[in-house]
Amino acid sequence: MPETFLDSTELILNMGPQHPSTHGVLRVILKLDGEKVTGTDCVIGYLHRGVEKIGENRTYVMFAPYVDRMDYVAAVSNGLGYCLAIEKLLGVEAPPRAQAVRVILTELNRIASHLFWLGTHALDIGATTPVMYCLREREEVLKIFEAYCGARLTTHAFRIGGLQYETYDGFEQQCLAFCDAFPARVDDYEALLTGNRIWIDRLKGVGILNADDCKAYGVTGPMLRAAGVKWDIRKALPYSGYEKYDFEIPVGYNGDTYDRYIVRMQEMRQSARIVRQAVQSLPEGPIMAKVPKVIKPAPGEVYVSIEAPKGELGYYVVSDGTINPYRLRVRPPSFVNLQSLDKMAKGALIADVVAIIGTIDIVLGEVDR
Amino acid sequence: MESAPWESELTLAMKAEFGDSVLEFSTHRGQEFVVAKADSAIAILEYLKYEADYDYLVDVTAVHWPKRAGEEFDLVYILYSFARNHRLRVKTRIADGYKPQTSVTVHLTANWLEREVFDMFGIEFAGHPDPRRILMPDEWKGHPLRKDYSIVQMDDAWVKENLGIESGH
Amino acid sequence: MRKFLRTIFLIDLFEGLRVTLRYQHPKNIYTEQYPAERPQVAERYRGAPRLNKNPDTNETLCISCDLCAIACPEALIVVTSIRNPETRRKELTEFTYDTSRCMFCGLCEDACPVDALELTQDFEFAQYSRDGLIWDRQMLEDGPRPTPYKA
Ligand code: SF4
Ligand code: SF4
Repeated sequence: MPETFLDSTELILNMGPQHPSTHGVLRVILKLDGEKVTGTDCVIGYLHRGVEKIGENRTYVMFAPYVDRMDYVAAVSNGLGYCLAIEKLLGVEAPPRAQAVRVILTELNRIASHLFWLGTHALDIGATTPVMYCLREREEVLKIFEAYCGARLTTHAFRIGGLQYETYDGFEQQCLAFCDAFPARVDDYEALLTGNRIWIDRLKGVGILNADDCKAYGVTGPMLRAAGVKWDIRKALPYSGYEKYDFEIPVGYNGDTYDRYIVRMQEMRQSARIVRQAVQSLPEGPIMAKVPKVIKPAPGEVYVSIEAPKGELGYYVVSDGTINPYRLRVRPPSFVNLQSLDKMAKGALIADVVAIIGTIDIVLGEVDR
Repeated sequence: MESAPWESELTLAMKAEFGDSVLEFSTHRGQEFVVAKADSAIAILEYLKYEADYDYLVDVTAVHWPKRAGEEFDLVYILYSFARNHRLRVKTRIADGYKPQTSVTVHLTANWLEREVFDMFGIEFAGHPDPRRILMPDEWKGHPLRKDYSIVQMDDAWVKENLGIESGH
Repeated sequence: MRKFLRTIFLIDLFEGLRVTLRYQHPKNIYTEQYPAERPQVAERYRGAPRLNKNPDTNETLCISCDLCAIACPEALIVVTSIRNPETRRKELTEFTYDTSRCMFCGLCEDACPVDALELTQDFEFAQYSRDGLIWDRQMLEDGPRPTPYKA
């Protein structure tokens, strides 16, 4: 800690770990000059469960449910990344039907995750209404998950090599009905927020992170796109058949909190578009590739990453030829994105810090693992 | 599946630039990686960033191989280039106790990632601006992701002092 | 100018109010009345475990193969059996399932070759103590009995 922070005019304020706007157990030590933030220090690890260590002590199949517990609002994305990584290590690929169902569920999950973000973020800013509507729509998505795999949050929906469950009767109709109703609902949220003067005043020009800073800090996902970088792993390095679907990557210009909001709203619409295409072109066929009964990849290592709702979610898996991973590293988007908080919060007001933390869209389960 | 040698314009340029410091260019399951000597890692990251557009450091992590005497750790840098749309891994093999140079000077994002590597493996980075633990409590003893650290192991003294309970094993 | 008028007439406010007022209509109410009304969960719901019995003979379907216990990542299932000297088959004696550590991933259910172990649609199994969450064979076969809610 540099000497200047010990100046008598400086105030050190503890935000969290139980502060409602830190979305879990994040503790931020703010150094203040009046109401201006001159520095931040994040203390994390309150939710550290040693997921990577658990991974080294479980078989490949057994570890799959644990990844759902990292980013628990986007469990399906976590599961997809894990399954893709192990499939890459084994050299198998999921059959087309399984890939399409995976895309449908992951995109629905992206919607659910963004909705949850929108609701809580708006709540932080002081708009208490949207959270009710957001959770109502999210409920529809969770109902699809529940009917498909039997769990709402920690879904464990995918297995290495494909899917465990065939779609249920009415799956397509339910997804399409959701896609039909959803854009109008997004319009509602936008009517509540996008033009609202308080919302604009609180968000515009707050927490600016330009494209170069984003790259330097390794920031990915909607935050990077809000800074104007048109980069999305679904387009750049397509996986699970994303190249087949027609969708756009929404980008912002200023890289401020407001742009991130706009980008995420657009992303939800695009996700609904992908879901519709995937449901309409859902191929028939098997849902499980041929994988050995005991998964025992040859020695080697892979890094596979996907575009999770929060950014680049990567798995670096090292196999030594046994039934347990030798090393399983998770590259969590929230953790890396959170690091840019210091840069964004410097010079902002305390109230803006709340907006900035909200806009990074962190899930502490993933930050701390 | 064995990894195959990898050759491209980039590898030739890097060979010319670094000579013997780069030990291996390989590709494994379609993913390229470079194995380099530990002391040249930062120079290589700099070269890759400024000359070859690998401007996004995705991840820094380590792998513990206790049986490899003298080279107990793999230190892995995963890089990505927006311009080339290509991912590349740079690996160095280091001994236990060796203090690699920090890469924060090249990529700011390495700050927390290296702190995590220190926290989990006990690899100290020379010149790191903020060499603290990040996920485990500051006073914790031991580094959980080392292979000799058992999954049920705890810092009993810490648990007793801070939580007031006997650790449960 | 347009922007000025929008500001003066609080257009943004009224747009938002229109949305909220529209959802005031009783047919748009979405709240579930749990616990007064118990919601119907999906057919595949992974809830309380059950050890199935053959409905005709009332004998357990479990063949004590131990596969569920091996498949479980948390290693929370313990199957004990004795070999019947006459039929040379294993017969189930005890089956414990620690729901307090279970994460309802469904791997045990998938592993069971005879569909004896099943995760059912029951989701109300809160207990007053942790000990109550460790289920024995009796409990697994009969299922949880939640106290009905009296309004
Ligand atoms: S549901 Fe999962 S955690 Fe629970 S007993 Fe079955 S395998 Fe174990
Ligand atoms: S897998 Fe099924 S049959 Fe085998 S011990 Fe478990 S419950 Fe019984």
